[in-house]
Amino acid sequence: MGSLSKADEAQLKAQLEDAVLSCNERCLYQSAKWAAELLNSLPATDDNGSETDVDSPMSDPPPPRTPSGHVARDPTEARLEARELHKFLLAKTYFDCREHDRCAAVFLPGSLPKGSIQPTSSPSAKSKLPGKGKARIGTPTKPRISIGAMQGLSQKALFLALYAKYIAGEKRMNEDSEMILGPQDGGVTINKELVGVSAVLEEWFDNLPSSGRRPQGWLEYLYGIVLAKGKNEQLALEYFIRSVELYPYNWGAWQELASLLGTTEELKDIGPRLPTNLMAFIFNVYASQELYQANDQIHDALSSILNYFPDSAFLKTQRALLYYHAKDFDEAENIFSNLLITDPHRIDSLDCYSNILYVMGMRPKLAFLAQIAMTTDKFRPETCCVVGNYFSLKSEHEKAVMYFRRALILDRNFLSAWTLMGHEYVEMKNTHAAIESYRRAVDVNRKDYRAWYGLGQTYEVLEMHSYALFYHQRAAALRPYDPKLWMAVGLCFGKVDKFTNAIRAYKRALVAGSYYDGGAGSSFGSGETSGLGGGILDPDVLYQIALLYERVSDMPECAAYMELVLAQEEGADYDESTGEGANGVGVTPTTTKARLWLARWEYMRGMYQRAMELANELCQDGFEVEDAKALVRDIRARMERERGDGR
Amino acid sequence: MAVSRYLTAQKISLLVLVNLYCDSALPSSATIPVLSFILSHAIPSAPSSARARRPREEHNASFPIQDFEDVLQSFTSNMPGRTLLDVFLKHLWEINSFDALYDLFNNIDNLLAKAADDPDQVVPAEQSPDTILLSRTSPLGAFVRRARIEFVRLQFDDALKLWSAFILYRAPTAQWTTRTAGLASSGFDHNATELGLRPGEDLYEVAYGHLENEAENGEVVSMDDLERLLEFQLERLQRLGCRVPGEMRTQLRSMLGPTPPVLRQSHIVRFFDAWKAGDYTSAFDNLHQYYDYATQAREKVHYQYALLHMAILQADFGCFGEAIAAINETIATARENQDMNCLNFSLSWLNHMSKAYPKQLKGAGYMGMLGSERDGLIFLKAKAKETKMYHLLGATLLNEARLSMSTGDSVARALEHMYQASHLIIKEDLTTQGGLRLLESTLYSRLGISHLSTVYSELLLHCYQQGGAVDEQIRAVCRGAISAMQNGNYDKALHQLEAIPSASHRTLKFHQYIYYCTGLIKLKRAIHRTDWTLCSALLPSLRPDQSSDPELSFLLTQAHVEYLIASGNFSSAFSTIEEYAASLNTQGADIAQRITILLLKAKLFARVGKPEAGFSIALRAASALEDANQETIATLYCHLGDSYVGLAGLEDPATSQGVRARAIKISRAEMYIDGARECYKKIEDIDGECEQLMKKALIAKLRGDEQLAEDWADNYNRVWEE
Repeated sequence: MGSLSKADEAQLKAQLEDAVLSCNERCLYQSAKWAAELLNSLPATDDNGSETDVDSPMSDPPPPRTPSGHVARDPTEARLEARELHKFLLAKTYFDCREHDRCAAVFLPGSLPKGSIQPTSSPSAKSKLPGKGKARIGTPTKPRISIGAMQGLSQKALFLALYAKYIAGEKRMNEDSEMILGPQDGGVTINKELVGVSAVLEEWFDNLPSSGRRPQGWLEYLYGIVLAKGKNEQLALEYFIRSVELYPYNWGAWQELASLLGTTEELKDIGPRLPTNLMAFIFNVYASQELYQANDQIHDALSSILNYFPDSAFLKTQRALLYYHAKDFDEAENIFSNLLITDPHRIDSLDCYSNILYVMGMRPKLAFLAQIAMTTDKFRPETCCVVGNYFSLKSEHEKAVMYFRRALILDRNFLSAWTLMGHEYVEMKNTHAAIESYRRAVDVNRKDYRAWYGLGQTYEVLEMHSYALFYHQRAAALRPYDPKLWMAVGLCFGKVDKFTNAIRAYKRALVAGSYYDGGAGSSFGSGETSGLGGGILDPDVLYQIALLYERVSDMPECAAYMELVLAQEEGADYDESTGEGANGVGVTPTTTKARLWLARWEYMRGMYQRAMELANELCQDGFEVEDAKALVRDIRARMERERGDGR
Repeated sequence: MAVSRYLTAQKISLLVLVNLYCDSALPSSATIPVLSFILSHAIPSAPSSARARRPREEHNASFPIQDFEDVLQSFTSNMPGRTLLDVFLKHLWEINSFDALYDLFNNIDNLLAKAADDPDQVVPAEQSPDTILLSRTSPLGAFVRRARIEFVRLQFDDALKLWSAFILYRAPTAQWTTRTAGLASSGFDHNATELGLRPGEDLYEVAYGHLENEAENGEVVSMDDLERLLEFQLERLQRLGCRVPGEMRTQLRSMLGPTPPVLRQSHIVRFFDAWKAGDYTSAFDNLHQYYDYATQAREKVHYQYALLHMAILQADFGCFGEAIAAINETIATARENQDMNCLNFSLSWLNHMSKAYPKQLKGAGYMGMLGSERDGLIFLKAKAKETKMYHLLGATLLNEARLSMSTGDSVARALEHMYQASHLIIKEDLTTQGGLRLLESTLYSRLGISHLSTVYSELLLHCYQQGGAVDEQIRAVCRGAISAMQNGNYDKALHQLEAIPSASHRTLKFHQYIYYCTGLIKLKRAIHRTDWTLCSALLPSLRPDQSSDPELSFLLTQAHVEYLIASGNFSSAFSTIEEYAASLNTQGADIAQRITILLLKAKLFARVGKPEAGFSIALRAASALEDANQETIATLYCHLGDSYVGLAGLEDPATSQGVRARAIKISRAEMYIDGARECYKKIEDIDGECEQLMKKALIAKLRGDEQLAEDWADNYNRVWEE
């Protein structure tokens, strides 16, 4: 694969530079960081000076709307910006000093409409917004600030002011929130500025067609956030799409967009509406990763982007996460380990790395990771999660919970901490706290299958199977190719006596298992991490299916599945394609049970010869020897008698 | 760098050693040395007064890793060809990651014998029969449990700090033996080695880059060690009354680091230090600081102790009014809180103060709390017996002895009290030996047995140097110097004073005491050598103020009067004596002092030509002071000689009997004059000596022995010119 043409590369660089500056001007620090990182992960120019040939479809020139560099500015906006430059600088410095209310007041000195929320509950707002008393009358959607004042502002200034309001509201919301999982902590504290900000933005967008202003994408982004917070997700999605159309280099907008997508279908639906450019491409990979899609297509796409940005830590992390979702832990660990070496001060997504190390049981390395994260920054939620994972691996669950809580105090929306805390509470047999933690995780991000699965498991512990079923189904829907989840679904169906459904779920698990093995084997090396060789079916699942068939009295099917269980001992003889059928699971308690069942079954049917064979094998297996011996005696007695009868 | 609460790298190494011991890896010959090594460092030495401290027992918390080498090097392990040190280091270096450190602490639980009634604990099946299990209550068991608890309580980042401290601590051992070099070459962190990290790489710098900086900081002690260290210092400060030695100060400061943890003890150590240094304001400040933190930690009980300290501090700086107010409130609070210890101590202190500074206390409005002094002492004695406060009882007995001495009661009574106190001191192992010896020395010097007195003060210096209060030692030295001075050994006296270690000068009180003492000796010598310029130079700097030691201020006044007399300023000498005598009388001062003043007065009268007025007083005093004070003796001999000459003049020369009587009296006078001359010569009093020589010459002339008179006159001239 080649890389970008020189001209394209120059343009890309100019756009990224502009993105960093624009995001910074609007105090979107994370987006600015992301863009700057991407900008710096381009290969050095002299490396690929000769390669100018390939112009891949991903490097489509951006749509003409996108301002490239500083040249193509909207003249109206430029005039307005020039006029309010000094005020803008003031507001920006206030924002940088975290005086958000003051920042907002530079451009919007009046108060925003308060809506129905009682304003006295927020003392800090009172002191900073003296005019609020008047503003309280009237309907929530009625803005107090005259539209004229708003029109007199450039979009940049308006964005900064409203964004500052929004951030101030978030801050106050955090301050008002109760202790994590305390009696009052229902996760219901809301950002009281949302109503006001949304009202202003609504009005602004209503007036947009008549005002002759050209939208820039930033206000759309902010409106999208506000709408998403207000659970108006469909509209939010619209605005995010509009935002990325207008200005594709704001990564924050893409991220928000991804968080609104619940399924791959939704991703596919919006696909055509997105601009076709590099950012959309990266988004596609990112969103797929977030939706646990780990197929070859995504890998290929990622590889081609990595060609342009060979040093991008973000993209490498995406690759590692893809491997992680596909349960290829070695590969994922490897990538993360290299990332750690190349960029030791980076803490972003170290929590995922710690999850991987946790699953792999690499305790010393996890400790080392925790050490590094701790020395870099003690007060990052990621750091706390790493440490929490370490303690969890050492079975010090109280301490683990302490660190997860700390992570949540630092960031209440930190998803993995909620989920992991749920796991810890399960370990500590505190099911109620576990359920609440999982629930909060799910509230933060409905795509977290582990939280759904955890919820299901917890309800299973509480013997509430039909309830648990719902959660397991959600989890399975999120990860349709994870046999573990389907097994859980099957188990629940079995418990609530829906045997046919259970059988279908288990069969689904079988399919999923073989899918992973097959897929993993062909696309990225070995799939051995699942514990099964290529083509091997999980004997446990087979056994469960057999038992279920027994429950519905379909004895032949049952016997057939029992035979299948036995077949797994030797490995997949029938699967010729892999050519390595020898690596079966060997004798396990499950296969022994299946053999015992078969032996009894043959005995009942009067097939004593076969029953005898099986029973003798059983005696050698060493698991259920007593039963086997008794069976052998019975069979012998029957055979004796039969022989006697025959004589 | 914050300080850990209890665990240090040293303690980790000790745990490794405990592990070795429990695995029965120690050969039996090594068991006792190794165990005692562990115990000496792991277990806090109990602050028991019953056991005498060895001088080297000063607990050194931050012992270097070389100590392990010293102990372990000489033993061979069970494995042939390896010393115990090798085995120990192998275990030490097997802790090759942060996780391994965690494992160490997780596994030490297995060393403890399981409680019988603990159903949760299952005995691990494959425990080797050689394993030694520690009882939970044994010293080692307690150490292991404490270490484990403390580790569990550590925050993750604190554990990280411990880990880096441990790496640093272990680092020197890497090159000790070839075996460890092999182990150590794989790096101190297994993870870093696996990732192929080398110093200088970014990730390495993030993980361990700070090690190099910390290596320079050196001392790593835990809060627990620090607390013990400070408590030790505090005990010394309180017991010896000295200051924190300079090197210790710098060491402590480096341990506390740039951001010292808030340790209450450090405030009070600073308080004592500042107090002894004479830094009133910071002493005050630190005292307040200490008790502010103390009340935060505990209840109000400490209020009275704060007040007590305040009172002592105020009195020490001469603010008697404030001191009285503070001590009154102390007593009130102590009564309210039923704190007998504090109450009795306050009363005793008040009693002592009213004895030592009667005038100042009266001036400050102190009217006496316990009626007469004797009643007070009896009350205190009863109280002390009741509450078994042997310290107080001992101090009260000594006070009683002192009282009976100063009022001129029978010496036997005083001695009785002293023997009681001595018995108590020995029986209860009190630390007031020094005070007793000093008092004994005073008693004997009053009885005129000056060599015995010297012996007692030397006894104090020789036998109770360790652990005795610095204050008492300095007093003993000064007393020795003054007695040497009185015998005319000025050089020896000054030499003794110079020999006092310079550390004592860092305490203001002691410095003043020594300074006055030295000044006194120099002044005396100057007076005797009639070096008036030196005298007038010395005198202004030797004016004691009201807070200085009463005993010394008496001696200084005495020297002053002597100077006035010697320089012929009789009228001002007389007025000084009168004034001083009056003040002594009003405060009911020590009888010995009053006698001495009387003697001075007698001398003055003699000088101004009224020998009769002083004669009787002089004779009375002489018996008590025989053999003690050459100067007084000289004066007395001189007076006796003069008197005999006078008596001889009364005889009738006409009769032969009268002539013979006159000759006898004259020869007697001559004998006494010779005696006086000897004494004056001893104390280098040239004036006095010359006077005696003149008298001799005159007598010879009167006898008509011109030749002899001429000889004496020559003698006189020679001496004078010398």
